[in-house]
Amino acid sequence: MENEKEQPGELTPEEQREVLEAAMQAGHILLENGAEIFRVEETMDRICCHYGIRSGNSFVLSNGIFTTSGNEREEIFAKVQHIPVSGTHLDRVAAVNQLSREIEKDFLSPGDVKHRLDQIRIMPGKPRTMQILASGVGSACFCYLFGGTLRDSLSAFGSGILLYVYVIFLSSPHLSKIVGNIGGGALVTFLCTVLYLLHFGENLNFMIIGSIMPLIPGVAFTNAIRDIADGDYISGSVRMLDALLVFFCIAMGVGMVFSLFHRLTGGVLL
Amino acid sequence: MSVFMEAAAAVVGTVAFSLLFGVPARFYPYCGLIGGAGWLVYGGLMNGMTAPSAALAATIVVIFLSRTFAVRERCPVTIFLISGIFPLVPGAGIYWTAYYIVTDDLALAVRTGFLACKVAVAIVLGIVFVFEMPQKFFTFAAKKQEEVDDR
Repeated sequence: MENEKEQPGELTPEEQREVLEAAMQAGHILLENGAEIFRVEETMDRICCHYGIRSGNSFVLSNGIFTTSGNEREEIFAKVQHIPVSGTHLDRVAAVNQLSREIEKDFLSPGDVKHRLDQIRIMPGKPRTMQILASGVGSACFCYLFGGTLRDSLSAFGSGILLYVYVIFLSSPHLSKIVGNIGGGALVTFLCTVLYLLHFGENLNFMIIGSIMPLIPGVAFTNAIRDIADGDYISGSVRMLDALLVFFCIAMGVGMVFSLFHRLTGGVLL
Repeated sequence: MSVFMEAAAAVVGTVAFSLLFGVPARFYPYCGLIGGAGWLVYGGLMNGMTAPSAALAATIVVIFLSRTFAVRERCPVTIFLISGIFPLVPGAGIYWTAYYIVTDDLALAVRTGFLACKVAVAIVLGIVFVFEMPQKFFTFAAKKQEEVDDR
C-alpha cells in the first residue's frame, strides 16, 4: 500500500510493539461494544499498515483476538486476548472508527493513539436514570405500535421502567444470561398481569409485548446476520446462538408466569 | 391520524432504544427517521401483504437509509442499522408462541412460531441483499467529494 511515503524509516522493535498493542486495543474496544468482525479486522489491519508493519496478521472471533507479526525484517510479536461478551456502547465504536480515520489522515504517534484509545475506553455511558427512562418510553411506544391503547402504553411504561431497574441492578451484574433473561421475562409478565388485574390496562398481551422489547437481543441478532453474510461463520453462529438463547429464555420466563397464573385462576385469566 | 400516531410512536421508540445502545446523541434524529420510515413501510404493506414480505420491504428501506446516512455522516453503519431494525425484529411473534404453548394450543403455537421464523428470514434476506450493493452507489450521499471507503 502507499502508506510508506509517510514513514520516517524502519520501526524499532519497541515502536512496533507499541503499534501492535494499540491495534489490539482498538480491536478490543470495537469487539466488546458491538462491532462486526470485519470492522475489527479491517481497523486492526489499517492501523498496522499505516505505521508500516507489513507482517501484521490478526484473527478475530466473537470473543477473542489473536494477533501476530514477524518476518525476516520485523520482530516477532504475538498476543491473544480473550474478550467476554458485554454490553453495547455504539458511541465507542463510532469513536474508534473516527480515530482510525484520523490515523490515516494525519500523523499521530503510536503513543497518541494509545492515549486516545484509553480515553475512549473509559468514555462514560448514558446515565442510569436516562437508560431506565428510555426503557420505559421504548416499551410504551412499542406497546402502542403493536396495537395497545394509550392506557396499555402507560402500564407498559411502568413495567418497562421496573424491568430496566432489574436489568441494571440485578440481572447484568449478578445473574447469568439464561437466568437473567428468564427472570426478566417473568418479571414483565408478572407486573403486567398485576396491572391488568388492577384494571390499569385493557390488553394484557400488548402490554407484555411492549415491555419485553428492552430484553430482545437486537444487536446480537443483527450482528450475527452481518457476520454470516461476510463469511465469518464461526462468530456469526456464536452470536446467532446467543440471540436465539435470549429469545428462548424470554419466552420461557413469560410462559412460566403465565402457566402459574393459569393454575391459580383456573384458566379464567387467559 | 392513527398512521401518524403510529409513525410518531415508532420514531420515539427507536430513539429510546438507540439511547439504550449508546448511540451518540447527534445521531438520534437519523435513528428516529429510519425507525419511523421502516414502520411506515411495514404497517402500510401489512394491509395487502403477508408479514414476511412486508418485513422484507421494510428491512430493505431501513438498510438503504442506514447505509446512506452512514456515508453521509462517515460513521459505522451499525449505529443506524441496529436501532432502525429493532421495530421489525419479531418480538411479538416470540410472545405469541410462548402464549399459545402455555395455553396448550399447539397448532397455533407452531403457526406463530413458524411465522416469526419467516419474518426473521425475511429480515436476513433484506440485510444481505442491500449490503451486497456496491459502496460506490452510496457516494451520492457523501457530504464532500472526499473519498468514501468505509461502510
